[in-house]
Amino acid sequence: MAREQPNVGDLLPLLETSDLHQLEEIRGLINEQLSTERGSMLLNGLVDYFLETNSAQAMHILSSVREPHDKHLLDKMNECMTKQACRLPTLTLLGHVIRKQPSWIHKIARYPLLLSLLKCLKTDTDVVVLITGVLVLITLLPMIPQAGKQHLWEYFDIFGRLASWNLKNPGHVSEVYLIHLHASVYSLFHRLYGMYPCNFVSYLRSHYSMKENMETFEEVVKPMLEHVRIHPELVTGTKDHELDPTRWKRYEIHDIVIECAKVSLDPKEASCEEGYSCSLNIIQIMLFVSLQNSACELNSSCGGKDPLWSPSSLCGMATPPSSRGMSPNLELSHSSSHLPSRFHCTSGDTFQPILQWVIVLSRIVMIVIHLELFQTGYHLMCLSFVAAITEELLKITEENQELPGLRGFDSPFYHTTETLTGCQAPEKTLPNIQPGGPQTWSFTPIDHHLHRSPSAPDDDVGKYGMFSPSPCSKTPPAPIPYESFFDLALPRAASLFVGKKTTEAVHKADGEEEGLMSASPLEVLDRLVQQGSDAHDKVLKRLPLPSKSADWTHFGGSAPLDELHTLRSQLLLLHNQLLYERYKREQHAVRNRRLLRRIINATALEEQNNAMKDQLNLQSVDITSLRESLQVEQQRYRQLWDDRETVVTRLHSQIRQLQQGRDDYYTKNQELQSKLQECQKRMDELEAELQRANNKICHTGHLLNQMTIKLSNSESTQQQMSFLNKQLLLLGEAHKLSMQELHHAGPDNTKEAQMLQVSYRKEVETLRQSLLVQGQKLEAAQQRVAELETLLTKKEHLIAEQKKFLEDVKCQAKAELQASDSRYQAQRRITQLLQTELLQLYSRVEMEAPAENEEADTRPLHDSPHGNGSTLSPGQPKASNSSKVTANSINGGQDLAPPLLVEPSSLSYPHADAPLTVGSYPSAKSFLGMRARELFRNKSESQCDEEQPPPPRLAGLAHGLKTELCVEPGSSSAHEPLPFGFCAN
Amino acid sequence: MADDPQRNFRSAYYEKVGFRGVEEKKSLEILLKDNPLDVEKLSTFSQRFPLPSMYRIHVWKVLLGIQPPHSDSHALVGGYRKEQYQDVLEALEVMRYISASTPSTHVYLRMFQLESQVLPRCSETSPPDEENEDFLSISRAMEEIVDDPIDCYWLIKCFVNQFHSKFGDSLPHLPKSLEHYLSQEEPRLLNHLKNTGALAQLPYSLWFRRCFAGCLPESSLQRVWDKVISGSCKILVFVALEILLSYKLVLMGINRPEGVVKFLCNIPQENTDAIVTKAIDLWHKYCGTPMHAV
Repeated sequence: MAREQPNVGDLLPLLETSDLHQLEEIRGLINEQLSTERGSMLLNGLVDYFLETNSAQAMHILSSVREPHDKHLLDKMNECMTKQACRLPTLTLLGHVIRKQPSWIHKIARYPLLLSLLKCLKTDTDVVVLITGVLVLITLLPMIPQAGKQHLWEYFDIFGRLASWNLKNPGHVSEVYLIHLHASVYSLFHRLYGMYPCNFVSYLRSHYSMKENMETFEEVVKPMLEHVRIHPELVTGTKDHELDPTRWKRYEIHDIVIECAKVSLDPKEASCEEGYSCSLNIIQIMLFVSLQNSACELNSSCGGKDPLWSPSSLCGMATPPSSRGMSPNLELSHSSSHLPSRFHCTSGDTFQPILQWVIVLSRIVMIVIHLELFQTGYHLMCLSFVAAITEELLKITEENQELPGLRGFDSPFYHTTETLTGCQAPEKTLPNIQPGGPQTWSFTPIDHHLHRSPSAPDDDVGKYGMFSPSPCSKTPPAPIPYESFFDLALPRAASLFVGKKTTEAVHKADGEEEGLMSASPLEVLDRLVQQGSDAHDKVLKRLPLPSKSADWTHFGGSAPLDELHTLRSQLLLLHNQLLYERYKREQHAVRNRRLLRRIINATALEEQNNAMKDQLNLQSVDITSLRESLQVEQQRYRQLWDDRETVVTRLHSQIRQLQQGRDDYYTKNQELQSKLQECQKRMDELEAELQRANNKICHTGHLLNQMTIKLSNSESTQQQMSFLNKQLLLLGEAHKLSMQELHHAGPDNTKEAQMLQVSYRKEVETLRQSLLVQGQKLEAAQQRVAELETLLTKKEHLIAEQKKFLEDVKCQAKAELQASDSRYQAQRRITQLLQTELLQLYSRVEMEAPAENEEADTRPLHDSPHGNGSTLSPGQPKASNSSKVTANSINGGQDLAPPLLVEPSSLSYPHADAPLTVGSYPSAKSFLGMRARELFRNKSESQCDEEQPPPPRLAGLAHGLKTELCVEPGSSSAHEPLPFGFCAN
Repeated sequence: MADDPQRNFRSAYYEKVGFRGVEEKKSLEILLKDNPLDVEKLSTFSQRFPLPSMYRIHVWKVLLGIQPPHSDSHALVGGYRKEQYQDVLEALEVMRYISASTPSTHVYLRMFQLESQVLPRCSETSPPDEENEDFLSISRAMEEIVDDPIDCYWLIKCFVNQFHSKFGDSLPHLPKSLEHYLSQEEPRLLNHLKNTGALAQLPYSLWFRRCFAGCLPESSLQRVWDKVISGSCKILVFVALEILLSYKLVLMGINRPEGVVKFLCNIPQENTDAIVTKAIDLWHKYCGTPMHAV
C-alpha cells in the first residue's frame, strides 16, 4: 500500500492526458484507491494538485469524494483557506463540491471550514475572493439552514460589509467587479430575506438606523428591498421561530431556494412560482414579444447591423429551450437572446473593449438564465397559455395565408411523432423558414412545449381551450398585431404590457445608465455582459481599425497587464456566476420534475375522479331506475298483499262457516249417536226378549212334545178308557146280569166283586210301578252295555296291539330261536360227527384190543376222569397203532393232513388226549352222557358182534347206528319231543 | 316315502336327468333304521339300486337271514353265530379235518359239509367234486369281499344254501333263457355260436352255479351278487349275455368251441364294471324294474 501511494500520486499529472481511455483508467484507479484507503494522503495530494493546476479532472474526482474522506477534504480545504494565495482556488473547489451536493454536506456546519469561510468573507479584501465566497455561501445556506442559529449574525455582518463595500469601494476595485459584487450581494440579500426574514429585517433595522450606514441603505439596500415583497413570516413568525430547526425539516434544498424566490419580485433573481409573480411573468412574456417586435423594428430601421442580427439568434432567444436545454452546448447553436437586440441599438458607447470570449461566456450565462426561467413549472403554464392563443391565431392565419412550410410545425402531433434526435433538425431549419414573417416564428414555442410533455398532448389542447375561450370567439381572422389580441384577451396583462412598453420606450430615450440603476443588479450584470458582447462584435467588425484598439487601451488608464488580470478575474467571476446560476437551474430542474410528477399524478387523479364521477352518475341512474322498479314492485306487492288479504279474509269467513257447520254436524252426530245407543240398548233388550221368547218357544215346544206324548198317552188311555168303558159297560151289563143273577142268587156276590175290584186295582197299580222300575233298569242296563262295548273295542285294540307286539316278539324270538336252533343243529351235527368218530375209534380200539372190552365197558359207569385216564393209558400203544391206521386212511383219502404222516408218534398224544375230553363230555351233560353210555354199551355189544370178522367200518357204524336207533327211542323220546314241539310252535 | 321329511324332494328327479345313486345311500339308511327291518323292502332296494359298499355286508346278512330283522337281537344272534362257527371249527380241528395250515376256503367247505351232514369221514375224504369246487370258488370270492371269517363263513353258507334252495330248480333253464335273449339282442352271434357248436359248451357252470365267482373281479361280482342275494337269478343270464355281447367281435373271430370256452373262462378283467352295469340295465329292460315301493 505504502509503495503504491507514490505511484498514484505520480499518476495525478496524467489526468490531463488527452487520451480518453487512459484518462478513464487513471480515474478508475484513483477512485479505487480512494474507496480502499482511509488515509488522507491521496486526497491531500489531489487537492494540492488541483490548487496547482486547476485541473478539471481533479476537481471532478474531489467533488464526488465519498463519506470517509469528507473530513480530510474539509480539513485540507480549511488548511488551504488560511493561505492567502490558494484561497481563491480553494473557494472554487468548495463551490464545486457544494454544488455537487454530496450526502455529507450537512456536516460542513460542524467543521471549521465554515468558520474560516465566514471569517474570510468578513476580513478579506480581494473582491474576487469575496464574490466567489459569497456565491458559495449563498449556495451553502439552503443546505445547512439549521446552522444559521449560530452564524446568523455573521451572515448579516457579511451582508452589511459587502453592501457597504459597493458604495465605499475600499479596495478601489474596478467597477466591473462592483457590478458582480453587487449582483452577488443582491442574491445574498434575497437568500437571507427569504430564509430568516424577521431576524434579517431586525438586523437591517438596527444596522441601518445608524447614521453612518444611512447612505448605504439609501443607495444599495433600499433598491434591493424594492425587489422583494413582504415576507409572510414577518407577519406570522418570530425571530426564535425562524431559527427553530424543526421548521427546516420539512423543506428540501430546492424548496428553500424556491421559498426564497417566492418573495422576490425580481424576475431575474426569482423564478415564477405560482401565485406570487404571475403577472410579472406574463409581463415578461409580453416583454419578450414586444422586444422581439421592437427588435424587428430596430432591425428594419438599422439594416447595417444585420450581420449581427441573425434570424437564428432571434429564434434561439424566442424559442424556450426544451429538455435538451439541460445541456447548454446544444443551445449554443441558438445562442441569442432578446436582449442583444435591445442592447444592439444602445451599444457602441460603453464597454467596447471587451474580449471576444468574455462575450461568448456572457451569452452562455444569459442563455442559462433564460433556460432556468423557462424551466419552471409555472412558466410552462404561461407558455401553454400563450401557446393556446398562438394556436388559435395560427389556425386563423393558416386559413388565410396557407404557409405550407409551417404545416409540420403547427400540428401538435408533429413533435410527438418525432424522436429526440429528429427534433433537432427542424429546430435548426426553423430560422430559415421563419424569416417570412414575425407572426409565425413567434408561435413556435408550442411545439417545444408539446414536445416537453408528449404524454398528453390532447389534454393540453383541452387546457388551452379552457384557458382561451374568449379570444377564440373574439379574435378576428386578420393577421393584425398581437397587442390588440392581448388587449382583448387579457385586459390586465395588456395594460401592464402597455405600461411596460412605455417605460421601455422611456428607458430607450433616457439612456442606459438610468435604466441600469432602476433595474435589478442582475439585470445590470446582464447588460454589462451584453454590452461586452456587443463591444466584442463591434471590435470584431471593426477589427481593421487599429486606432480603436489603441484608444481602448488608454481608455481605462491602466496598464494592459492589469487590464488582463482584471479581465481574467472578471472571467472567473462570470464563471462563478454561471456556476451559481447553473446550480440554481439544477435546483429548479429538480423541483420542476417533482412538480411535473405531481401534475401528472393530479391529472391522473382528476381523470380517475372523472371516471368515478361518470361511474357515480351511471350508478345513480341505475339507482333511480332501480328505485322506480322498486316502487313498481312495491306497488305490485301491495296489490298482491291486498288481494291476499281479501282472499284470506274470505277464506277465514269460509272457514268459520265451515267450522260452524262442522260443529252443528258434531252435535247432530252426537245426538244421533246417543239415539243409536238407545236403539242398540233397545235392540239388546229386544234380543234378550227374543231369546226369552225363543226359550219359551223351545220350552213350549218341549212341553208340546211332552203334551203330544201325553196326548197320545191320553188318547191311548182314552181308547183304553173307551175300551174299558165298553168293558165296563159290558161288565156293567154283565154285572147287571150278574146282579140280576145275584139278585136271583144272593146279595153276597156284589161285596165280593167290590173287593175283587179293589184288589185288581191295587194289583194294576203295583204292576205299573214295577213296569216303571223295569224300564229304568232297562235304560241303565243299556247304558252299561254301551260303556262295556266301548271298553270292549278298546280292549280289542289293546289286544290287537298286544298281538302285534307279540307277533313282533315272536318273530324276534323265532329268529333268535332259529339261530340257536341252527346252532343246536350244528351242535348236533358236531356231536354226531364226534360220535361217529368216536365210534370209529372205539371200533378200532376194540378190534385191536378185545380183551380190554369189559374194562372199557364198566369204566364209564364209574364216571371218573381218573378212571378214564387209566382206561386209556394201557391202550396207548394200540392207540398209536390205530392212529397210524387212521392216519394212513386219511392220508389215502385226503391230502390235507400231511403233519399226521410226518409225526405219527407225536400226534398220538393229542389223539390219546382226545378220548379224555370225549370221556368227560358225557359226564357234563347227563343226557348225552346217558346216550354215550348207551352207545358205548351198544358198541360194546356190537363190538362183540364184530369180533370175529373184520367188517368194513361203515357197516359197523351203520350197525351201531341202527342199534342206537333201535335202542334209543325209549330214552330219547322223553327229551326229544320238547324242542320239536317248541319249534313247531 | 314322499312324505319323509329327511328325504330330499329332488331325489325323484335325479334319476330322470341321469344321476344315479344320489339318494340311494340315504334311503338305504332310512330303511336300515327301521326296527324290525323290512326284508322285503330291503330286497327290492337291492334289486333296484346298487348297494353302498359300507352297508353291503349288513344288508346281505339280513337278506340271507344271518341277522334277524330285529336289531335288538342282532347282538345275541351274532353271538350265537360266532359260537356256532367256533364250535364247528373246534370240532373240525379236534377231529383233525383241518389244521392251522388248512386254507380257509377248505375250512369253510369242511364246516359247510359238517353242517349239511355231508362231511365224509376222515378216512374217506375224496377230492372235491364239482359241487365242492363251486363252493370253493364262491368262498374264495366271498373271502375277498368279507374280512371277518365268521361273517364270511356264514355268508358263504347262507348264500349257497339260499341259492340252491331258491334257484336250484330254475338253474337248468338258464341256458335256454340266455339263448332266447341272445337271439333277441344279437342273433348273429347266436348263430355263430350255434354253428361253431360253442353254444352248448359255454361255461354255464361257471356262470350259473358259481355265480361268476372266479370269472368277474370281486368289485363287479358283488354287484351281481347283490341282485342274486336279493332274489333274482335272472341277472346271471344277463351278465352272461352282456359278456357275450361285449366280446362279440372276439367271439365272432373264434371258431373253435374250446377257444370260445377258454376265452370266456378268462375274460379280461378291465371293463367288467361296465359290463355289469350294462347287464343290470339289460336286466331292468327285460324284466322291468322291481316295482315294489322302496
